[in-house]
Amino acid sequence: MPENTPNPESPAPVEPEEIRVGVYTCHCGGNISHVVQCERVAKMVGKLANVAVSRTDPSFCSDAGQAIIEQDIKELGINRVVIGACAPSLHEQTFRGAVTRAGLNPYLYHHVGLREQDSWVHASDEEGATEKAMRLMAAGVAKARLLDPLDPIRLGAEKQALVIGGGVAGLRAALDIARQGIRVTLVEKSPFLGGRMAQLESIFPTDEKPRQLLHDLIQAVTAQVGITIFTQAEVTGVSGYVGNFSIQVTQHARGVSPEMAEALTAACTQETPDPFNYSLTRRKVIYQPYPGCYPAAPAVDWQHYDGQPIQVNGKSIVLQDDALVHELIAGAIVLATGFDPYEPRQGEYGYGELSQVITLPQLIRHMALVKNGETLTWNGHPVRSAAIIHCVGSRELDGVHEPQADGQVNNYCSRVCCTASLHTALEMRQRFPRLNIYELYQDIRAYGRGHEEIYRHTQNAAVRFVRYHGDDGPKVIAAPKGDPYPVLVQVKDYLTYGEEIEIPVDLVVLAVGMMPRQVDDLVNMLKISRGADRFLLEAHPKLRPVEMAVRGIILAGTAQGPMNIQESLAAASAAAAKAASLLSLGKVELPPFVARVDPAKCNGNGACVTACLEEGAIALQTFVENGVEVQRAVVTPANCTGCGACVGACPNRAIDVQAWTLAQYDAMVDAIAMDWPELVEVEK
Amino acid sequence: MAHSDKPKQPKILILATLAGGYAGADATGQVHLDYPANTYILPVMSPVMFPPEFFLRAFERGIDAIIIMYSGTDSPYKVEADGTASLVNRTYTLMKTRGIDIRRLRLAAICTVCVKPFLKEVNQMADLLKGIGFVKDEITAPAAAQAKGA
Ligand SMILES: Cc1cc2nc3c(=O)[nH]c(=O)nc-3n(C[C@H](O)[C@H](O)[C@H](O)COP(=O)(O)OP(=O)(O)OC[C@H]3O[C@@H](n4cnc5c(N)ncnc54)[C@H](O)[C@@H]3O)c2cc1C
Ligand code: SF4
Repeated sequence: MPENTPNPESPAPVEPEEIRVGVYTCHCGGNISHVVQCERVAKMVGKLANVAVSRTDPSFCSDAGQAIIEQDIKELGINRVVIGACAPSLHEQTFRGAVTRAGLNPYLYHHVGLREQDSWVHASDEEGATEKAMRLMAAGVAKARLLDPLDPIRLGAEKQALVIGGGVAGLRAALDIARQGIRVTLVEKSPFLGGRMAQLESIFPTDEKPRQLLHDLIQAVTAQVGITIFTQAEVTGVSGYVGNFSIQVTQHARGVSPEMAEALTAACTQETPDPFNYSLTRRKVIYQPYPGCYPAAPAVDWQHYDGQPIQVNGKSIVLQDDALVHELIAGAIVLATGFDPYEPRQGEYGYGELSQVITLPQLIRHMALVKNGETLTWNGHPVRSAAIIHCVGSRELDGVHEPQADGQVNNYCSRVCCTASLHTALEMRQRFPRLNIYELYQDIRAYGRGHEEIYRHTQNAAVRFVRYHGDDGPKVIAAPKGDPYPVLVQVKDYLTYGEEIEIPVDLVVLAVGMMPRQVDDLVNMLKISRGADRFLLEAHPKLRPVEMAVRGIILAGTAQGPMNIQESLAAASAAAAKAASLLSLGKVELPPFVARVDPAKCNGNGACVTACLEEGAIALQTFVENGVEVQRAVVTPANCTGCGACVGACPNRAIDVQAWTLAQYDAMVDAIAMDWPELVEVEK
Repeated sequence: MAHSDKPKQPKILILATLAGGYAGADATGQVHLDYPANTYILPVMSPVMFPPEFFLRAFERGIDAIIIMYSGTDSPYKVEADGTASLVNRTYTLMKTRGIDIRRLRLAAICTVCVKPFLKEVNQMADLLKGIGFVKDEITAPAAAQAKGA
């Protein structure tokens, strides 16, 4: 028990310094100053107590703008900085850098958002926007006066990463991370690696064989030192923080030993719809999805196995799922959980009601089952005419399309389906030259390198294009008895000024969009965010495009949004670079926004400990003060998330979150609430 | 119009979580959708850090309405959803004892891309204030004197 030891968290006594605030109101190249009268704001703020200098500039984030701030710090003795500019998420780090370069502690700077939250939303009220800027900047100054210098929290980081998802993005990310000398555990839910790419037959824009490409990638992954692969595995528990996540992985058994695999597979009679072929065919519950898959050994589909014994050589064998639990540590987690094709609703364009309506992924699998030289048939009949309808489950409109189960419509473009449809149409043309092919589209979004060429080739390959409007889409109906074709597609063609046409077809193909895979469990465990489109959300679309807001969690591939293979791989390599740069030093720095106890005010009542839900973040410890044993709250910064539950609970205001203190909020409230006479007075 | 001529506007304080409402407000700015300028957004890690006295003090100082834009069950903090709801309920009880209309404090779950819900909350509160006016005309008992640490 420490004797007369001050609480380890008590700040060392410092000489009181004169607070000299430098205030910088940015025009943002006119983005702010077109609405907010920046000079008036600067003049008003310049008159507030402790403000030593108040300036404006066309662009403080430019090198020249930053140099002004740095010079003021060095030459005018500025020791607190307030910058009113664009959103802090864009340039807070830039200005922290400038402040640090000038020799000031980076946390003696406060950022006020005057663009997204002022000039851009009050363009019709310049006076109101200017008053708002004055009050927000005054609040910034009020906070800055109470800022303390802080140091980031430095923690050791495990040089190990976890990659969740073994599709093309997860495989690429795992390989790139391991090549930087960081150990990787790759966790794949299904028994086989490769994800959705393995279900394709020929891929745009290069016409390469996807399973061959996957084979090469998987070979590189399995040959790479430092990668451990768990298939049929899922993350079932996560705790900790960047640099030191503790992870529990539950792995199902493969179910059949290598010696028995062949005999058991041959003897197994139980079948289930084959998800590899999108239920167009059936397969056994002991299975390999395709020849050449990895791992090569068959696996048991535990979800569908009915538990009945299988008879092999006179023996009755019941398959057992002896699941294993692995505990591991990782400094960073890469999420590469991929996508699912949109599943149309019953009756959507006749899906589920007319047997001639299928999805594009189903068509790709169906064509893979048709041998070269054979005719394309469906339901045992030759296909003479087929219509591909674009944007099914994408670009949906509120009030026009029926919402999903969660009440939302998929209003995003799935980006991949246009080129995938055109590419498939071209393949159909090549393999089945007599087929009539129609593409019913809203807009063709063939945006990548080589995609426009595919569009042009398709146009030149006697594929007919019909353009519909999103609020007036095609209708798919059964043709009257006796018609030569079983299905009619009725659509208003806007290429011929809204002419109503009826296309008789044998097959309707729905170019379904991409939906994020169901990862609710991971979202809850990792406390991560999804966007309005339900895909996993990056911290910032431009500045932090593969990192999530929770530090140490990184996105790769279509878990983040619709992407083609090239984009998925680029994202995966970016994710790997982020993970490697985070972990390569063996330590991470966290912002110091954690709770801090004022031992002079703490009376050890423990309300903070009760309020805190984070394990190991705060506890009461016994100290001896002046010969008397006392209890004081002590924070473990590495476990504290900075939520402030303890702050709200403390009756003595003895605890605060560093840089976000209650006193600072009170001061900001006072500045915002300032009455007119006071504001006008300072403005004069 | 010079400041001194301008009719006094009620003030709406918005405490917006970095993981939710603050980013939602930025998203609203990115699409340039207008809302009343008498809105002052302060970023917060999580609203659970505020004791009820903080709100009472703010009302007493002349903040006419407060919207807490939190992340609800989507919050990165385990304690946020239940903790904030409980905080708001305790604050309502105290507001009633001071004669403050409890509609002046609102809790709303706003996500990083919740542009429409953000606008709805702000506009509704602005409309409400047009009807119920300034908080200073309403407070019957001094809050700050009783608020700890005020
Ligand atoms: C019809 C269609 C045609 C296409 N054609 C082309 C083309 O020709 N060219 C092209 O460039 N792109 C094409 N694409 C896009 C391409 O399929 C994707 O870009 C690519 O498959 C994305 O890879 P991924 O690794 O991000 O996701 P996925 O392939 O979905 O892989 C994700 C992996 O994560 C696993 N997983 C999911 N959840 C978990 C969990 N909780 N725990 C562990 N593992 C998990 C899954 O089992 C899966 O193995 C097409 C897409 C469609 C729909
Ligand atoms: S890529 Fe084409 S088909 Fe797919 S949603 Fe976008 S516009 Fe529609």
